[in-house]
Amino acid sequence: MLEMNLQFFSHHKGGGSTANGRDSAGRRLGTKAADGSKVTTGSIIYRQRGTHIYPGKNVKRAGDDTLFALVDGVVRFERMGRSKRQVSVYPVSEAVAK
Amino acid sequence: MILANIIHDKQSDRITSFSLSGHADSGEYGKDIVCAAVSVLSISTVNGLTEVANLEPKVVSDDIEGGFMEVTVPEANSSVDEIAAQAILSTFQNGMRDISQSYADYIKLDITID
Repeated sequence: MLEMNLQFFSHHKGGGSTANGRDSAGRRLGTKAADGSKVTTGSIIYRQRGTHIYPGKNVKRAGDDTLFALVDGVVRFERMGRSKRQVSVYPVSEAVAK
Repeated sequence: MILANIIHDKQSDRITSFSLSGHADSGEYGKDIVCAAVSVLSISTVNGLTEVANLEPKVVSDDIEGGFMEVTVPEANSSVDEIAAQAILSTFQNGMRDISQSYADYIKLDITID
């Protein structure tokens, strides 16, 4: 059971001008480029721990399992096998044909 | 902006998982109504799957930073529980679709048919 937190998808308390000024490294996981959106080479597509989503065509997995684009193109989230999913980037010319 | 993705399995005609990532940013903390709507929908869905449909959905969420939830729904043990689970998930999808239509600046919904 999850605790009902109505601010789960809200930024945390806005800090005013405090003496601290530190910002803890946010672990903003999840989708950074939606299906069908255009990305450029090197753009981060998906932040994750482990391989919830696998790298597909023109996509590479970084050391922290982040998936990023190897070419400019359009993002496509696809099925891989029975239960796995992958993300690919197709150059615009190719993506139009898909 | 919240990026929501609901995944349907074409073969079994089931909703099999959904993921939500990002922050709504439609207001300051404590007054972010879009965040509250998405939070209550998604958390109620997970709790409903557990309490009403007797399932154990696999939930991956970032409880410290918030703004990230991935839910994978296993197949139910009985047809009654399966019907309940899919009813809960369809209701979740309807709610997310309505919110994303009314508050398109703060939430983007993708429905993927695999």
